[in-house]
Amino acid sequence: MKRSHGKIDVVLLSVVIGLVGFGVLMVYSASMYNAQVNYNNQYYFMFKQLVGAAFGFAAMIGLMFLDYHVLYKLRYIILGVSVVLLVLVFIPGVGVENYGARRWINLPFFTLQASEVAKFGFIIFAASYMAKYHKKMTTFRGILPVVAVGLGICVLIILEPNMSITICVGLLMFLMLFMGGARIKHFFIIGIPALAAVPILILIEPYRLNRLMAFLNPWASPLEEGYQLIQSFYSLGSGGLFGLGLFKSRQKYLFLPFSESDFILSIIGEELGLFGCILLMGAYILLIARAVRIAQRATDRFGCYLAGGIAGIIAIQVLVNIAVVTGSIPPTGLPLPFISAGSSSLIVFLGSIGILMSVARRSHKSVECLAAQHERRRSHRDRRIGKKVQNVVSKAVTPGGGAGQVAAPAQVFDAVAPEENTG
Amino acid sequence: MKSNGLTLTRKRLLAILTIICFLFCALGVRLFVVQILNGKDLRGKAAEQWYRDLPLEAKRGIIYDATGQVLADNYDVYSVYVRPNAVKDTGAVAAVLGDKLGLDPVKLQEKIGSKRVSEITILRGVDSATAESIRAFDLDGVYFTADAKRNYPYGNSMSQILGFTNIDNVGQNGLEGYYDKYLSGVDGYAYTATDIKGNETGEGIKYVPSIPGCNMTLTIDAQIQSFAENAVKDACAEWGAKNAYMIVMDVRTGGIAAMAGAPSYDNNDPPRDDIHLLNALSKNKMIVDVYEPGSTFKIFTTAAALESGNAKTDDRFFCPGYRLVDGQRIKCWRTIGHGSQDLGEGVMNSCNCVFMDLAQRLGVGTFYDYLETFGFGQKTNIDFFGESKGLLMKEESVKTVDLARIGFGQAVAVTPLQLITGVSAIVNGGTLYEPYFVQSVDDYSGKNVYTREPKAVRRVIGEATSQTMRGLLENVVSSGGGKKAGVPGYRIGGKTGTAQKYENGAIAQGKYISSFIGFAPVEDPRYAVLMIVDEPSGYVYYGSLTAAPYAGRVFERIFSYIGLQPSQSVEKPETFAMPDLVGKSVDEAVAILKQHKLTFETAGEGGTVTATLPAPGGETFAGDVVLLRLQ
Repeated sequence: MKRSHGKIDVVLLSVVIGLVGFGVLMVYSASMYNAQVNYNNQYYFMFKQLVGAAFGFAAMIGLMFLDYHVLYKLRYIILGVSVVLLVLVFIPGVGVENYGARRWINLPFFTLQASEVAKFGFIIFAASYMAKYHKKMTTFRGILPVVAVGLGICVLIILEPNMSITICVGLLMFLMLFMGGARIKHFFIIGIPALAAVPILILIEPYRLNRLMAFLNPWASPLEEGYQLIQSFYSLGSGGLFGLGLFKSRQKYLFLPFSESDFILSIIGEELGLFGCILLMGAYILLIARAVRIAQRATDRFGCYLAGGIAGIIAIQVLVNIAVVTGSIPPTGLPLPFISAGSSSLIVFLGSIGILMSVARRSHKSVECLAAQHERRRSHRDRRIGKKVQNVVSKAVTPGGGAGQVAAPAQVFDAVAPEENTG
Repeated sequence: MKSNGLTLTRKRLLAILTIICFLFCALGVRLFVVQILNGKDLRGKAAEQWYRDLPLEAKRGIIYDATGQVLADNYDVYSVYVRPNAVKDTGAVAAVLGDKLGLDPVKLQEKIGSKRVSEITILRGVDSATAESIRAFDLDGVYFTADAKRNYPYGNSMSQILGFTNIDNVGQNGLEGYYDKYLSGVDGYAYTATDIKGNETGEGIKYVPSIPGCNMTLTIDAQIQSFAENAVKDACAEWGAKNAYMIVMDVRTGGIAAMAGAPSYDNNDPPRDDIHLLNALSKNKMIVDVYEPGSTFKIFTTAAALESGNAKTDDRFFCPGYRLVDGQRIKCWRTIGHGSQDLGEGVMNSCNCVFMDLAQRLGVGTFYDYLETFGFGQKTNIDFFGESKGLLMKEESVKTVDLARIGFGQAVAVTPLQLITGVSAIVNGGTLYEPYFVQSVDDYSGKNVYTREPKAVRRVIGEATSQTMRGLLENVVSSGGGKKAGVPGYRIGGKTGTAQKYENGAIAQGKYISSFIGFAPVEDPRYAVLMIVDEPSGYVYYGSLTAAPYAGRVFERIFSYIGLQPSQSVEKPETFAMPDLVGKSVDEAVAILKQHKLTFETAGEGGTVTATLPAPGGETFAGDVVLLRLQ
């Protein structure tokens, strides 16, 4: 187990490098005018993104060669650091306030978004817990620690406030529990109070209701709540099938706020069209599918849950981001993984890819494949044998003794069908 | 590490991946809806915020007269705009614009200081010298667009025909209004890509060029028009008239060679602030308004009677000074009567009795058929807005008395245009032409887009009757009431008319419309001239005295202008001093006038002459028309 058996997942690595490279290009395109106007340097955001990418790839390579079981051992420390960072945000001087929310921590080179770290802190903690206590996962008591930690992180994030990451962590928690084998009825027990919390949150902060309304009909308030979404629509609509061409966006001339970060997909849609968007979504699906495959092939529960959690958080964030940009759900600010400008997000997501690779390298991929093939051939052979047996039996036994005829081959099937059972 | 628990995990991972793929597909569909299905609509809306567009006004088409003289063109003026976001020094901009444009700098500064609007129009119609002097300051945020302003070189002339445009160069009335879609062209735009604050993004300006309007050539001849303009202006002044009008028509085509009304206004500076005055002055009453024609209408009665065979030129009529029609006594204008006369003498004398008889002979049905054939009670379809149909009594309600009155031009109302159009048909050989102003339209590149061919509506009388009518009307000018319209050496035909005006259904005492309709040359008619003097003040109100002389003057000038040679040898007319008739009885005076071959009109009632025009001893010549004032 300590020794790596698998090779580097070339497809995964290519997709990630491609996405980050494409992201740098699009960040430049989307921000060049804004950067020129506000920072007198059209490469301002692009350079920042390049620095983030450099740190991110460093983190990825480091984590790739690190045995991921170290994370299992450090789970409490990682969870602790995550919580401390989330609390630090609220301390004046350390936390940075922006757009009316405290989400960032000042570091010498860049500002760190604490919740980005916390997402992965939660995945590591939940994966560790579920691996260790997997037999308890079917009981309500057994899932409670995961729920408690998840809710605690959610509460800290929503206090910033940051609705979107809260929802992501919430969804991630359900995904982890589902993957860990929790019972469906238990989801209802936690899910119903969570749904009940929505109207309460709206009551506490009425602006959320306006935001909700804005998403349903942005044209009712084109200069207030609906503005951002309308501008996003203008971008996407202008792009059409093949887009206006790279760097040719007009919406980036300050019409579309957050065009280089949360709404970068709008600019991609404008410059490269539906065609570009579909290609990008294809790349994400490929990335997520590879991550799920790594989870399925992981050699232990911790690796499996870890990889599944990482696949989950990437999928959740991409889907929520696209849904927001296309006006399919109420608007929330959430970066598009690997693409949107933002160093914390980029570093953390690239780090998570490093973890994925670490899991992949330690899976018995080749051995398992051979075993699986072997199993499959065997089961086919057994099935054929079963049929022969059946034929023989049916010829031998007089018609009318139906029960006996059916029972015999059924048992044969049961014994050999799912290959996993033999492990 | 394989166990039953991990099997469940793998199944659930597969379920998760399936759900994720499904959600991606759903969002793909959503993107398709936004980008493709709603794309066109969104693109249009987005473009509105991407560009600041300045209109490039299309140059309005030029209007030419029949000989190529410019009647309406354009000159460049500038509109001054300010984009507050691009202004660097609000104070300086306000100061310069205030100084150069004569505006209040304080208010300007306030206006420019507001960053809420992206563009402010400071002033339009700024002349190029002023615009150039502002441009010299090179102010940030101040922009100019060239506009065109309409220019009418003839000013007062033709105002009621050409009409005018509003401040946006849209034709409002007259030919500017009627042909606006030809003249206006298609505006272009200058699109400047800007960011959200209105700053230019340096992609340059995209121009969508404007398409200039079409140029129009009229049937109006500026030279003939100027003769007519002078005539109406002088007539107004000489007779103290409320209005005077003249139409000159080419009888061979129906083309309007001139159409003048006085008083007029300067088309370059119409009184836009006084809407009532503007409406009154700009109304083309020769097309839009009706009047009771009086004796000029007798032309139609005569033509109808001749053409239908109800009268011959040698038919004789007796005028005792009145006719009893259905027991009602209708006076001839000459109360002492004209005695026995043939048709030609009747026309020359303009004897009402003759035309009452002719109308009776025709009967309502036939007479109305002819009147409709001549174009009365219907529009001429000239290319002009607001044309009137005139007023004809309903055929079924015309009583014998009415019929008799219509015969000499009462109880009927026509537009001046209808009258001259009808007369033109009678004298040109019998073909009624649709009158028109515009003979051709060319686009800005010179390509012809429309050419008007003269449109013969129908034949109204035969050539023979037309020839007879020309002869009868020539006599009116050579030796009847139309004498003053004559031009020595030229054969001119015509008819005078003097009608009392009606106000609120009753005869307005002392208010007359005096007119003369004539045509020339008789041997091959080319031009018809209608001169109308509306409400001449004083006792000289006869068409023969007020309107005919101006028609004659215009004829003379037209002949000289078109180089028409005289067809008759010019005998130096025998002139002599006007005999002194003051204090004499009417009979004595008439006898003396007959000796001198003078025709006459009378003013007032009574048996004694109190004054004459010309005054005793004044120069006069044989066959002239003189006025006797009676008491």
